Amino acid sequence: MNHTTSIPGTRSVWPMIALFTVPAFLIYGRFLLLPIIQSIGVSFYSGPGMNPSEFVGFDNYRNLFTRAPYNVRFWNALRNNLIFFAIVMVIQNAFGFFMAVLLTRPGKGVHTMRILSFLPTTLSVIVVGFLFNMILNPTWGIFNEMLRIIGLEQFIHPWLGDPKTALPIVSIAVSWQFLGESILFYTAGIDSISPEILEAGKIDGVSFFQEIWHLILPSLVPIIGIVTIMIFVGDFTQFDIVYAMTTTRGNPAYGTDIFGSLFYRAAFQSPSRGGWGLGMGATVSTIMSLMVFLGVSFWLFIFNRQKKRFFQD
Amino acid sequence: MSMRRMVRKAGVILVAATVLCATGGTLFAGGSGERRPAQEEITFTSWRTEDIQRMQRINRVFMEENPDIRVIFSPVSDQEYDAQMQAAIGAGVGAEIVFVRSYDPGRVLYDSDLLEPLNQLLPQLESFPPAAIDAWGTEEGTIYAIPFVGVTHGVYYNKGIFRKHNLSVPRTWDEFIQVSRTLKEQGETVFAQGTQEGWPLYEVIYSGLGANFYGGEAARQKLLKGEMRLTDRPFVRAFEKALELEEFFPRDHSAIDYVSMQQMFGTGNAAMFIGGSWEIGIFEDLGLGDDLGWFPPPVERVGDRLQYCFHVDAGIGLSRGNSGNAAALSYLEWASTPEFAQLFMNELPGFFAYTPGNYDLNHPVASKMIDAAQDADLTVRTVWQHLSAQVPSGNELMEEALILMYNKAISPQEAAAKVQNGLNSWYPAFRN
Repeated sequence: MNHTTSIPGTRSVWPMIALFTVPAFLIYGRFLLLPIIQSIGVSFYSGPGMNPSEFVGFDNYRNLFTRAPYNVRFWNALRNNLIFFAIVMVIQNAFGFFMAVLLTRPGKGVHTMRILSFLPTTLSVIVVGFLFNMILNPTWGIFNEMLRIIGLEQFIHPWLGDPKTALPIVSIAVSWQFLGESILFYTAGIDSISPEILEAGKIDGVSFFQEIWHLILPSLVPIIGIVTIMIFVGDFTQFDIVYAMTTTRGNPAYGTDIFGSLFYRAAFQSPSRGGWGLGMGATVSTIMSLMVFLGVSFWLFIFNRQKKRFFQD
Repeated sequence: MSMRRMVRKAGVILVAATVLCATGGTLFAGGSGERRPAQEEITFTSWRTEDIQRMQRINRVFMEENPDIRVIFSPVSDQEYDAQMQAAIGAGVGAEIVFVRSYDPGRVLYDSDLLEPLNQLLPQLESFPPAAIDAWGTEEGTIYAIPFVGVTHGVYYNKGIFRKHNLSVPRTWDEFIQVSRTLKEQGETVFAQGTQEGWPLYEVIYSGLGANFYGGEAARQKLLKGEMRLTDRPFVRAFEKALELEEFFPRDHSAIDYVSMQQMFGTGNAAMFIGGSWEIGIFEDLGLGDDLGWFPPPVERVGDRLQYCFHVDAGIGLSRGNSGNAAALSYLEWASTPEFAQLFMNELPGFFAYTPGNYDLNHPVASKMIDAAQDADLTVRTVWQHLSAQVPSGNELMEEALILMYNKAISPQEAAAKVQNGLNSWYPAFRN
């Protein structure tokens, strides 16, 4: 059989396809693909300023993984980023899901609550960071003052000054801000479940938790995957919240230093302030991109498997 | 009127309005027969965002003398300054006039071809003090920034709180501790000091107060030559003395950042603040007024000579590609005159110009700071020069070590060893 892309009586459609795709590809290539390739290219160079010119092969990568202080900062940032991701993922998925379940029940004020839940997401990260800093300030912050008023003085703590608590606090701030996004996704997912399925469950007398586990959750597996991947990408490229709450140094003593802050410092600050030169900065960013790529692939694989399992069940 | 005519008429009005808007400026500007001369615009950037109004007042004087030049002061926050300035100049969109840090951080800019050499453009720079030129010059004698101002480190105090408890200004370390203890017993917040950020701990507490214990400039020079190590007793002692003050810091000081520190002291909520001379203006703006007092870093024993950290702070440079920019050169020429220096010191008390000339320091606190230098050995921040040129930099190591020390994660000995080990990895004099 002769397969042809032409419509009988007309010319080939390829010129038309090219007309619409080539400009998009050119823009994508010039403004997204090329900078990534250039950044990878810069990671093979060393030298001062914005145009490192000494070709050093894989030395920057070798230094990043094996030589102090590069490797110390790198592994510290990786560890912090994984903890950061784990906390944000748990909070945003668990709270987001349960809030969505509650907000999809019929009731008074539910619609307003849905809108309000998205409000923090519209704020600037810098504003959120500043607000949390103010709330947690040990001198005039309202949080410790509230603990004092309700008699829980023993729990007063330098939240952003202790390396053990600073990172969880920064993670909570981010989770609070973007919880609305998770709620939005989950409510949309729950809304799209066929009412007949939920109705049938009710007729069969399922409990609240049985309904969630057997009816709602299986339908939301693809959305859990999307939300988790978004959190993963967001957290491994996150910079703003650290900048706003604990400076680009990831205070205290690099306790909140994640890849975004490490990259910024490494690439753009002078050596006296923790900079490593643009070549090393590009190396960090290349590794960041690789991690995001591998991470997204891993999560896609996991969620595709889970999706199959749930739907087979 | 038919629809077609209406559309045509609307089109004509639209075109006419567009033409008027496009040409209106020229048509009407010349209405009176006089046209303002075109203004050359130059941008001046620094890391001091708190100085906008003060710098605008200074620049206004220049603009009145040079009506054809408009100077825009556009500072960037201290932490981001280096990065943004480098990126902007590198991309060809940076400010023409830039604040330049002393020694290695500034030298990096020159080595990266981001600053113009000034020897030919401003020959008067040769008459500046050699020690200041050294901070913004190469070994070959190239000067890449006007060696402009220095700052000092010491202790601010609230005169009202001292008066209330009948306390006098301490001169020795023991007196300093005794005053702190009295204030603490009286329920006052002794120091408005936070330990969340490392740089005030290193630049102000260790370099400022510690110099009296590690031996000031003489010891620093030995450190640079590799004849001393930070693990030597005098330097470790400075760490120990810095830690002695921790019991007088506010509760949960590890979560207090720099801005909160300034707010706490400036609003009268603490008795003392270990700080830099650049903070006079901030405390005045916060309303401390006549209650603002200052004393130099306490010496160990009565009669000891003060080892005074008088740090070379800011130079003024010309960014790449502006050696032919007449407006920028005109401003730089002015910035190297005593007139500019006096204006700057009046507006920003606590900055002390190196520009040769006779000056009136009419601010009482600034006068005290400069008076303290008369009978003192001057030095700069401990590991600023040469020891912060590479990775890991001395500055960075000191900041991390001090945060960890104040968080009780490491001892003063371990803090000193941490810095020394980091420097051993690259500083030539320590590798032997």
